[in-house]
Amino acid sequence: MKLHMRRKTRNEIITHIVLIIIVFLVLAPVLFALAKSTQTRAEVYHFPPKLGPGTAGILNYKTVWYQFDLGLYIKNTLLVAGIVMFFKTLFSMTAGLGLVYFDFPFKEWVFYFILFTLMMPTEIMIVALFNLVSDIARQFGVENSYAVLTVPFLASATGVFLFRQHFSSIPADLADAARVDGAGPIRFLWSILIPMSWNTIAALALIQFIYMWNQYIWPLVIVRENKHQLIQVGLRSLTNQQDTTNWGLLMAAAILAMIPPMLVFILLQEQFTKGFALGREK
Amino acid sequence: MQTSFRRSLVLVALVMLVAVVVSACAATAPAGGTQTKVVEVTKVVEVTKIVKVQKQAEEVIPEGATVIDFWHAFGGGRKLLIERMVADYNYTHPGTYVHVENKGSYRDTLNAAILAAQQGNPPHIVQIFEIGSQLALDSGIFAPFEDSAPSWVHMDDLIGGVSNYYRFNGKFYSMPWNSSNPILYYNKDIFRAAGLDPENPPETFEEMLSACETIVSSGAAKNCISWPLHGWFFEQWMANMGAELADNGNGRDARATSVNLTSDAAKEIVTWWKEMYDKGYYAYSGKLEDWDGADAIFVSGQSAMEITSTSDVVNRQNDAAANGFELGTGYLPYPANSERMGVIVGGASMWMTAGHPDNEMKATADFITWFTNTENAIRWHKATGYFPIRKSSVTVLEGQDWFKRNPAYRAAFDQLLNTKDDNATRGAVIGAFPEVRTIIEQAVEKVLAGQTSVDDALAEAKTQADKAIVDYNKSVE
Amino acid sequence: MSTARFKGKWLPWLFLLPTLIILLVFLYYPVVQTFRLSFYRVAFLGLKTKFSGMENYLNLLHDTGYHQTIVSTVLVAMAVVIVGLGLSLLIAMIANQKIHGANIYRFLLIWPFALSPAVAGVVFLFMFSPGFGAVNYLTSVVTGHELNWLGEPKLAITLVIMASIWKNLGYNIVFYLAALQNVNTEVLEAASIDGANTWQRFWRVTFALLSPMTFFLLITNITYSFFDIFGMIDILTKGGPLDATNLMIYNLYRDAFEYYKTGLASAQSVILFLLVVGLTLIQFRTSGRQVYYGG
Repeated sequence: MKLHMRRKTRNEIITHIVLIIIVFLVLAPVLFALAKSTQTRAEVYHFPPKLGPGTAGILNYKTVWYQFDLGLYIKNTLLVAGIVMFFKTLFSMTAGLGLVYFDFPFKEWVFYFILFTLMMPTEIMIVALFNLVSDIARQFGVENSYAVLTVPFLASATGVFLFRQHFSSIPADLADAARVDGAGPIRFLWSILIPMSWNTIAALALIQFIYMWNQYIWPLVIVRENKHQLIQVGLRSLTNQQDTTNWGLLMAAAILAMIPPMLVFILLQEQFTKGFALGREK
Repeated sequence: MQTSFRRSLVLVALVMLVAVVVSACAATAPAGGTQTKVVEVTKVVEVTKIVKVQKQAEEVIPEGATVIDFWHAFGGGRKLLIERMVADYNYTHPGTYVHVENKGSYRDTLNAAILAAQQGNPPHIVQIFEIGSQLALDSGIFAPFEDSAPSWVHMDDLIGGVSNYYRFNGKFYSMPWNSSNPILYYNKDIFRAAGLDPENPPETFEEMLSACETIVSSGAAKNCISWPLHGWFFEQWMANMGAELADNGNGRDARATSVNLTSDAAKEIVTWWKEMYDKGYYAYSGKLEDWDGADAIFVSGQSAMEITSTSDVVNRQNDAAANGFELGTGYLPYPANSERMGVIVGGASMWMTAGHPDNEMKATADFITWFTNTENAIRWHKATGYFPIRKSSVTVLEGQDWFKRNPAYRAAFDQLLNTKDDNATRGAVIGAFPEVRTIIEQAVEKVLAGQTSVDDALAEAKTQADKAIVDYNKSVE
Repeated sequence: MSTARFKGKWLPWLFLLPTLIILLVFLYYPVVQTFRLSFYRVAFLGLKTKFSGMENYLNLLHDTGYHQTIVSTVLVAMAVVIVGLGLSLLIAMIANQKIHGANIYRFLLIWPFALSPAVAGVVFLFMFSPGFGAVNYLTSVVTGHELNWLGEPKLAITLVIMASIWKNLGYNIVFYLAALQNVNTEVLEAASIDGANTWQRFWRVTFALLSPMTFFLLITNITYSFFDIFGMIDILTKGGPLDATNLMIYNLYRDAFEYYKTGLASAQSVILFLLVVGLTLIQFRTSGRQVYYGG
């Protein structure tokens, strides 16, 4: 018995050690970036490399935030991601409602029509999309750049698929009861479906947030003025330019660019895994 | 219990997001911006020298002002300098408001301008790198600068090398701006440690090899020299040997149709490059066009020398001061068996797009002329190391004993003044130059990696480059 | 789903309308346009277009550089999927054990979820740069000679794969942990009573139960290594050295937006599209059913 216990403790210690090593390896690049983000140019270029914190302190962060517009880019991206999250969730939900709680001709075909777009990432048709959006923007005046960054992303096959799955799993009598109460589909959506869908909503919201936060190629080609630019392209502009890169600044920018998705992730993580468990748990 | 907790977490998250979105909306809503805004200045922070981090002012566009968009490729300290210069212009020219933006690298800036033109809304001024000149001409989206320039522009005041590069068919289609060429930077401390004369850097390919042997074998530095694997250096060496890169007078007599990549000069350059690499003298980051990588190797003391743009004089001096070594500068090395013909003016010029109303065109030309006038050319030169592009600026600088007091700037400038003017040193004009440059870089990359011989790599590169040129020419004819 | 609860002829269409319009305009229409453009030679700025038949496709067919690009893309995708998912599952299983502080470990392991490809590219570029990169310094101290991570084709592609796996680790671990917590311990115990050893238990029970999740992660990781990887390549290697990391999406971008070969780029889009459709169909046939039609 004692021996068994001892072996168990030993196993646990080994597990701890293994996990600590893995965590360190996973964390190392960011710790490195964090240390470098506080170093001056000279400290960054020191050889052999200095791994501790530098003397620039918070200055690098202030510089990228104000003088290299990181603050602006982060604000823009939050705005764009927020708009997309809201409308995409709404549209996916109503589409799910239409597909699950109504009968209409070609229903299967409509679903496949939506599902098929899973295989059409924006990147594939970037050239044609660029031409199309440029033409539309020219027709309606080019000022509103947030529209070109959001409207093409407001529909989602993933979202429709998730809500369709989720709604189908909700017991059928609920809708019947609603109908007996005389509730229409919109009230049904509002007072029954939404309260029962928080996990799915959270899952979709998180996916969309990260998706928009990581947008790179589309804003790179379509955004005309820096005042509408998004964070990833802003990060790129710190390294891709005609002057020597200040690595301390760049690392500060990278750390800043990590924080918002991390916060959203921490908040929604649990709902996310539940809502996106792919029918394995209901 | 668990579920209600989770639900409240989700609610909190959603509320936060809504709040963020609303605040972002509120912050961006009044971007129409005709009213004045308070500029906040945060406190001065002390590091090694006093660095001010200022909150960027919200743009205040005066009512009724003609707004001019100006796109450039600079980042870092140069971006901030340009913004200060533009602010000066806006302050002294109440009728005009210049809105300045940086668009990434040279290639990015050109692409961004062309994409914006496709969207029907190009900026008024675009900074375009020298090898994009033909492309810019062919695009048809630009108006010849000389036609709109005010009388006080005095193009004849430009120094020879600069006007020779940017005058096509006798006309300035753009206003030359930042101009530079490659020079040798070296670490005098490492030279001393290796027992070399710190006042006499190597001048020829051959001297370079023997100096490198001394440096590396003495252990004074791990590598001898670094420069970015960039087509620009190949082009410069071709010019330095008096060899034209493209046919039809380097593309200046008629549209270029092929490149002379299999010439003896081309082979000599790449062969030397490879020898330097194979012996462990030459080091680069491994990435194409990676200026930062080459800088890092030199500044961190892992190489004794670096070949890079004269525009880095100020950066390198700051680096040398910060890392505690003494900096020297010299000429771009050349093969001893050929005469030193000189270098091509690299850099970029300012192009103005066509199709704007008259008052905007006028304001645009006025700003460009102001931006490159005698005083601003001096300011730009002193703050970066790019050439003072006007003779009048040079006169002023000489009056201040500037070059005597700053020998690092002088090497760069003398090299340009000593350049012999012909089609080779005026630089090639090729429509598909951005692509040709990449092809050359990849050929050198292949040779260094030992994948193919110098002759084969250059022959293959020539085939590819010629095809790119023919395809390009077909698409614009 | 066969029993609908609400009546209305137009109502369902109204609910579906926003989604359908956006998909039609911003996905289907550009795809059709892409197919069309791939048969044209387009002068830059799109001013002149000329029908050129299969010219763009033939050019790609004969371009050895493009073959290399396809090979690299497939290589990276396979490595990211196989090594990345294997590693993630292993870590998830270790972290799934009942030990003190398990939640702390789990959190520290899944936070890279928040990383973007561009951030991963910037950080790895910095760590592996010659001159001042810490890893470069470390490898040169340990091995005695400096590895040129950005200059050696094989090392550079390894670097891209490592950075991609690192970036995706958090994402994969989140899902595997969630799935592992649903693996019924009774089934495992039953299996061990049946005399199955650890390996058999893992392979026959755990892995089988995890396969829907693996399938889902397979799709997302492939999508990542085909498309989302663009930001990382653009910052880390710019397709080099010797085009070793010039993946299909990067090559497409360069042709389209740097060399203005719109027609050629469109042909590449079509190839990429057909490849994705093919891969997805294969996956559906082999392992997908249980995910979408099971549960």
